[in-house]
Order: sequence, then structure tokens, then C-alpha cells
Amino acid sequence: MIRLGGGHLVALLLVILCVWQSPLAQAARPNIVLVLADDLGFSDIEPYGSEIKTPTISTLAANGVRFTNYHTAASCAPTRGMLMTGVDSHRNGVPNIPETIPPEQSEHPNYKGTLGHNVVTVATLLQDSGYHTYMAGKWHLGKTRDLLPFRRGFERTVTMADTGADNWEQKPYIPIYKKANWFADGEPFNLPEDFYSSRFLIDKTIEFISSNAGDGEPFFAYIPFQAVHIPVQAPQEFTDKYMGVYDGGWDVLRQQRQARAEQLGIIPANTGMVSMSTTNDWNAYTPEEQRYHAKRMAVYAGMVDAMDFHFGRLIDYLKRSGQYDNTVFIFTSDNGSEASGVDYPRALPVRFGLWLQGYNDDYDTLGLKGSFNAIGPSFASAAASPLAFYKFYAGEGGMRVPLIIAGESIPARSQPSNAFTYVTDIAPTILELAGVNPPSGRYGGRPVERITGRSLLALTRGEVDRVYSATDVIGYELGGNAALFQGDYKIVLNIHPVGDDEWHLYNIVTDPGETEDLKERMPERFARMLAHYHDYAKDNGVLPIPASYNQAFQGVANGVLNRFGPQILLGLLSLAVLLPFYIAYRTRRH
Amino acid sequence: MKTFLRVLVALPAILFVVMGLRWITDPAGAATALGMTLMEGVGRSSQIGDVGAFFLSMGLMILIGLVTARRTWFYAPALILILTALFRLLSWLFHDAALALDMIVVEVVVASILFVAASRLSQEA
Repeated sequence: MIRLGGGHLVALLLVILCVWQSPLAQAARPNIVLVLADDLGFSDIEPYGSEIKTPTISTLAANGVRFTNYHTAASCAPTRGMLMTGVDSHRNGVPNIPETIPPEQSEHPNYKGTLGHNVVTVATLLQDSGYHTYMAGKWHLGKTRDLLPFRRGFERTVTMADTGADNWEQKPYIPIYKKANWFADGEPFNLPEDFYSSRFLIDKTIEFISSNAGDGEPFFAYIPFQAVHIPVQAPQEFTDKYMGVYDGGWDVLRQQRQARAEQLGIIPANTGMVSMSTTNDWNAYTPEEQRYHAKRMAVYAGMVDAMDFHFGRLIDYLKRSGQYDNTVFIFTSDNGSEASGVDYPRALPVRFGLWLQGYNDDYDTLGLKGSFNAIGPSFASAAASPLAFYKFYAGEGGMRVPLIIAGESIPARSQPSNAFTYVTDIAPTILELAGVNPPSGRYGGRPVERITGRSLLALTRGEVDRVYSATDVIGYELGGNAALFQGDYKIVLNIHPVGDDEWHLYNIVTDPGETEDLKERMPERFARMLAHYHDYAKDNGVLPIPASYNQAFQGVANGVLNRFGPQILLGLLSLAVLLPFYIAYRTRRH
Repeated sequence: MKTFLRVLVALPAILFVVMGLRWITDPAGAATALGMTLMEGVGRSSQIGDVGAFFLSMGLMILIGLVTARRTWFYAPALILILTALFRLLSWLFHDAALALDMIVVEVVVASILFVAASRLSQEA
């Protein structure tokens, strides 16, 4: 028999007291489901004013908290890097998508466009604390073995490593890729024959969760959907629901969504809207062309609807298996709506280009297997209603997206939170939910960047009105587009071809549509915020973009070099070797 | 006739040059084209060095032969090709290699063309 002396008893009591007071002991650690839509615009779901039916997300929103002033980076990989680490994109290695980083920047170690080993992912932190960690969906933070999610804290994965891919088959959506790079648990993976992205990703998530259900350990599931990235594709039955809905065109849709968002309290009453220079005149199109454009958007709506439907299957599974009550859901998007897609998709050169890639854009099969669809800049602006700009740009339409946090442990709030929040806040929020401490400068025996975001849990509980004070500053830069947030204000620079290459100042709480530039009326604030931006750029190693930088052209140039670089080099070398012989031969003959 | 023969000789020469240079610019693709996988370490060094030099040298020798009209420059690659075909046969007979008949035929045909070129295109007495 073990006899305990007085000292031992005191020590034992202290240990029991410590354990009893720890967050782990106070409540069972929750399961966490992080759902990330791709290129989903600000008003693309019902709780934010959309006509698209999203009952699963609507139910979550009704039982949790909607954030109306949540911001991400304006394109996917930088957002995903910050989402996974809570660290600014210029410090985690992903300040831009690797496909569009110019050579002048790509030499810098923080400009590789892949998640650096100087940061630790939230998945690693959760895994090390005993969580099961699963991922099914798009990664886009590196495709080499050491950079895949399987090596970045996820226990089970099925992941697509590129910017995007076809939703119906294993096929690249643009010619810069030789193939769609899918991996399962770190190894190359072939998709099944009956693949549809949203269905498949939820099936795999359920499979992963089921494999360890009942072992008593909580799980973290990260589900970055392909929806609604291009190619915009949806099963016919989902598209059919929206046939005829968009016959009024993009201006009507933008106004309808603005009105609904106002009714829902997502934006202030009488929010102003700008009309983007890239938004075309709906009435200038023939009825046949209007019919085609309306179907493009109907497929888009069907894709959002299908994503919601399959997300609902996961929730049904969690309820059936008794795991729902202990699960917290976070739903958001990686950036604003995507404006890709030409104004006249039926033009012969467009169809020929698609044919070369094995696609068509025929009306009857639009959105189905073998079809390539995109909504174009005019409907993209409606998808971001009432905000200005869209994906890639630092306007609110590129950066402000839906964020919903819900679960049985999250108090339902009928009124949304309009506190400024940022993508780097998600990781610390998840860590606080899980009772895991963020890394304090070192992790796993190596120095790591500290998390810069702040937990939003106090906001969800209604304990505070904001997590950033009126003097805190949050800087942002991506491909030359830049912004700095302070209190209710934002300075923003949108570069060519859609932006004007000038800084502007807006109050994004009263004027989320960025219609009234306050630069002249508030010169001191403007100067102060601009100085803060320059400090941010200096402190975080923001590199200038080349004067002629154009993200789209850079993407094409990088893509051609990456895909065909060896062939181009071989051609040039061969020419260099053969040409002297030809000249010598001709000279000798004459 | 001579022009036709020059073109017939120049085509494999260009092909050999491109194949040789490909071992520098795209070794994995070059290996696959010859039914190989790209090896690691010293094996990779030998693949890129030996095979790349093999093709590039043959291409360059033929081109030099076309420019200088000296028959020796045609004999050397012809000899290499004949020996390559012979070694392919031996590898099939004694070392369980596949019988790469299509490659053997190409090598013999090109070697024959080079022998003809050596006699017809030479300006040596």
C-alpha cells in the first residue's frame, strides 16, 4: 500500500486543482468543422441577402453569429495561408498565389507562394493536443511532399493542390497544369468515376470522422470546397431550380440583394453602391445572349445550392451519430466573387480555346461534365452586392465575405456582429475553442512566427463589441492592391486594370459600398493611416510590384514557363547549336 | 539526288541534337522517351552524361560531315549506331531485355544512310 505524507497530499491536491481548473476539464473539447467556400461573394448565401437557397447555412446562421465586417485576402492562397496559421501572408510565405508572383519577387524567401516552415498550422497544434484532424478539399499552399496538408498537421487528407480543377472529373481547368493534382494522405490520388466535388468532399469527410468516431477524442475537420471556383459546374437538378431567376440581369440582381441585405441588417439602411466599370449594359445584349448569361448565373446558384445541400448531409450525419451537439461550425469564403469569364462566351475564339482544353460552353449542357462556365465580371459584381470590386482587388467586394460561427455552445444572436474581423482571427478562435495555447515564438524546437489574429469567441458570446480597438491597425497587400483598416475606416489602393492606382479613404461601417471618398475631408486621418500602411509594409517585408505588373498576364507567363519551360529552353538551345552549322553550310556552298 | 541525301542525313542529325540537349533541359522526359525512368545519384549522372553525350555527339558529327564533306565524320556515327543495334540484340539474347525491333531498324537504316552519304557526299579524293 502506498502511504502519502503531508507533503505528497498537498502536491496531489494542487495537481487535482490545476487539472480541475483547466479549460479541458471545464467542458468537453468541441469538435470543430471549418468550411471554406471558394470565391463565394458577400451576398451569395441567404443569411446575407441571396436569393440562392442555402437552408443548411441559414440554420447555422440562425443558431449562431453572422459577422458582417469580416475580411480576407482577395485571392485564395494568401487567405488559406492566414486561415491555417493566423499569421500575416507576408510572413507565412504566401503573399500572393504562386501562379502570379513575378520573378522580381519570387527570389525572396517569403514570396514562394507556399506555406513556409516558419509557421505552424492550427491543424498541427490541434493534432499535437490530441485532436483528430481531417481535411477534404482544396489546399493550394504547396504541392511537394513536405508542403502537403498530410505533413502540415492533418491526420487524414484528400486534397487538390492547384488553384482549382474540374468538378466532375480529374482534369485541369486551365492549360498551365498538365493534370489536376489530387493527393490522398500525401500520395498522388485518382478520383473516382462518379466524382462531383461537393458530394465527394463531404463523403470523404464523413468517412474520416466515422473512422475514429467513438474513441473519445474530438476532431477538427477542414472542408475547403471547390464551389464556386471556375469552372462553375453543378448537377442539372440544382441548376434547374434557378432557371429564369436571373432573366432580369445583373443590375436587377445587385439591387435585389442590396435591399435584402439591408432588411437582414447585414448592411446599414440606404447603403450606397458604385457601378463597376466592368459591368456591362444588360439591355445591350440580344434576348438570346441574355438567356445565355442568365443560365451562366443559374449554374452558379446551383453550385452554391449543391454545396449547401452536401454540407447539410454532414450535419445530418453528425446529428445521427450524436456528435452534433459538441460541434462548432465555422463557415466562410476565401475571397470575394470571381470575375473571370468573357462577355461573349459563344465567340468562336473562345469556343476554340475551350475545345483545345476538352471543354465546351454549349447552352444545353452548361455546367455539366465537359462544360466550362464562368459568370463574368457583371454578375460577379452582383454576387458581391452591394460592395465595390471583386476577387483580386482590395475593394470590399474582394475582401469582405460571409463569416458564420455556430454551434450548440455558441449563443444565437439575431443581430449580426458588425465588428471588424480578419482572416487571421480564425486560427486563434479555433485554438481557444479547443483550449490550446498559441505558439509563443517557438514550436517543435524551431522558431515560428507568432499569431497576429485575435480570438473572436468573446464576440460570439456578446462579451465585447469589438476585438480591435479604434487605434489598432491591420495592413494588407496582395499583388500591388493594398489596404489598411483602423477602427471604422479603411484606406484602399486598387491597381490597374480595374482600379485607378490611387489611395482612397472610406468609412466601411457606414459606407461599405465605398462610395464616398473621405480623403479630402479627413486629410489628417488619411495621412496617418497611409503612414501606418508604410510601416506595415516595411515591418512585414512587402515587396513592390514591377511597374508593368498585371496579375492575369503574369499568371499566363508563369504558367507557360512552368508548363512549357523545358520545351522552350530545348528549342532555344537546339537553335543555338544548329544555326552555326546552317550558316557554315550555306557559306561553304557559295 | 545529293540534295535529297543531304536532307535525309540532316534530319536524324537534328533529331539526335535535340535528343541530346533534352537530357539537359528535361531529363525525366528524355528518359521516358527511351523507355527508362530517371535514376537517382550516380545513376542519374551517368544517364544524363553518357546518353546525352551519345546523342549530341552523333548529331554534331553528322552536321560536321555535312559542312566539311569529309567521310570520316559520317563513319563514326554510323559505327556507333551499328554497335548500338548489335548491343540491343545481345541484350535481348543474353540479358532478358526486350527486343526493341523498331529502334534497331531505325538505327540500322540511319547507319546505312550514313554509309551511303560517306561515299556520295564526300569531296575527298
